[in-house]
Order: sequence, then structure tokens, then C-alpha cells
Amino acid sequence: MSSFSRSAQQWATFARSWFLIDARMQPPGKIATMCSVRLQGKHKPIYHALSDCGDHVVVINTKHIAFSGNKWEQKVYSSHTGFPGGFKQVTAAQLHLKDPKAIVRLAVYGMLPRNLHRRTMMQRLHIFPEDELPDDIRANLTEELPQPREIPRKLSEYTQEEMDAFPRLWIPPEDYKMK
Amino acid sequence: TPAEPDFTLNYCSLALPVVKPPQGTLVSKGLQPCSESTIEGQIIEIPAGPQPPNPTAQCPIYRWNLQHKYNYTDVLLLSQFIRSDGGMLPRRITGLCLEEHRKIAICVQMAHRAGLLPDHKPKLPEGHVPKRPKPQLNRYLTRWSIDSVKPIYKRGLKWCKKRMDVGHPALRSNVQYGVKPLHIKH
Repeated sequence: MSSFSRSAQQWATFARSWFLIDARMQPPGKIATMCSVRLQGKHKPIYHALSDCGDHVVVINTKHIAFSGNKWEQKVYSSHTGFPGGFKQVTAAQLHLKDPKAIVRLAVYGMLPRNLHRRTMMQRLHIFPEDELPDDIRANLTEELPQPREIPRKLSEYTQEEMDAFPRLWIPPEDYKMK
Repeated sequence: TPAEPDFTLNYCSLALPVVKPPQGTLVSKGLQPCSESTIEGQIIEIPAGPQPPNPTAQCPIYRWNLQHKYNYTDVLLLSQFIRSDGGMLPRRITGLCLEEHRKIAICVQMAHRAGLLPDHKPKLPEGHVPKRPKPQLNRYLTRWSIDSVKPIYKRGLKWCKKRMDVGHPALRSNVQYGVKPLHIKH
């Protein structure tokens, strides 16, 4: 902004901000793309790969992540311990029960560029399985990002007025017993 | 002038007038414990309302012009075609045409698996304790039943990739409100 002093403008441009993303009922892939864009600094017009302009990202509620389709049972995460016979394949459901932060962490890791900056960017990513945050991270947060997926409402969350306002599409016959 | 919309569908916003059918609905109370079996029924009177936009059609979805406009999230629509334990009502009673009945059944399945119909679960017998507590995993647009799906251990290369199914091909004819196409395989 032209009304700011030169030093204030410079500080605002190059400061490292802290973003918050709530992953409740969200697909982990979409969360991971948002995280990777901000960890690299690609959301800034001053981006350059060498200029270390990435921000911090805090992801909360990763325990309540939602996969589309049957990915909980079909998606397989593989790893090898390095020893013979050490090839391990685990489904997403099993991995999530063992470690609720792993799915988001692996998704973001795979979306970052494959260079030496990747490890530092992963250090700037903070994942928490539930709502609780340490006080120092909570004090640093600057902006909350909107959730990528609209959460659909359950039938129990509709008010009686909304349910009455919705028209009845068909008339049941008088002698039919509704269970 | 059309009436003000009192509600909106999740999939699209339509301005539909309020209607209540003129006849009553038969709702049966539980069987009373006595020597002779009598079933008590209560006829609930629902006041009449304005007519659907296309009253000459056979199927209720076509009568209200909702053919390609609903999704698994439109629970208010889907709940009109299900029993209290979550099963679908027969087609000869609801009057749906075959394709729409199947599409609604698919959407109801997806809504159950997404947990959008929490009060329409089947009644478990009294004193039933589940052996293993099931993991509560959030999901949506699940096509296949949870126990029937096997993990894909080898996904293959790009030209022969084994993709994971999302949504259902029967809903491919739905109206697309955005520019992005609907991906069935992820």
C-alpha cells in the first residue's frame, strides 16, 4: 500500500505468515495442495525458488479427514525398511488408526518439489490430529484458510420448518402401511 | 409470479412452491400386546398445497422437474423414499420410474455411507453388543460396500493404472454447474 512507510511495506512483504487449515470432513489431497502452495510461497507475487519465501501452515483435526469413494480400503501406503523381507503395505484405514497425522503428512510430502528445500518446508508444516494447539503456535497464527469442500448437512441438522417447507413429491396410498 | 423459495436443494437452488398432498397418510402404531391381534392405524391429515410444475408425468421426479438435479447430499428429497430403518420403498408404491428409482437407491446408499441419515439405521436386537468397535472413518461418494472392497496393492503404471471408483456412473447425466468435469475414477 502506498500509504505505508518503506520499512513497514518491506516487512509486510517478506514476513513469514502462519496459516491455519481445518481438515474436518475434508479430502486430504485438497488440503495437501493448499498446504504445498503456501509452504513453497507460490501464493506470493514475490515467489522465487531460491528466496525461501514459504510460510508456515498448521493443519488441525486431521483425525477427522474424509476420503471420497472407497479409498480408505483401496488406497495402499507402501514402505520398505531396507532389510530383506521388509516390504510393508498398509491400507489407508490401518495407517490412519496407527497414526492420524501420517496421511496428510505423506500427501504434502509428495506434492512438494523434489529438492533439498522439501525437508525444510516439511519442518514448517505443523499437523495436529485434534483441535488442541500449543499456545505458542496459536499466538503465531495470522490467517485461517476456507475449507475446500462444502460439508453436506445431515438429516438431523435440518430444522422442522425446513423439512416442512420441502414439498412431498408423492402421495402414499391410504391403505399402505409405512414402517 | 412464482412464490418465494421456502427451501433450497443442496445440489442446485430451485424455487419450488410448497405443496402438501390432500389425502392422509396411514401410519401404523406398534402392535398392542393382547390376545386378539389388532393393528391400530392413524390417518394423518396433511393439508393440500399448490400443484407440481409438470402434473401430467408418471414419475414424481419428472412431475417436479428434478430429473438431473439431485445428488447424495439432498437428504430432504431422499428421505421421502426410504423406510424408517433405511431401506428403499417399493417402486409400485412410490410411483418412480425404473431409472430414477435406481438413481435414488444409489444416492440413498451413498448418503447412508456418508452418515447423512443417522436416524434411519436398522434396529438392533436388545442387548446386542458389537464384538469389535468399528473405526469411525469419514467418507463420501462411496460406490461399493465397505467390506466388499479389497486394497489395490499394485496400482500399475500410467497407461494401465488401476483407478479407485468415486461416485456412480448413473449420476453422470446430472447437470454440471461448474466448468470442471465430474471424475468417476480417481
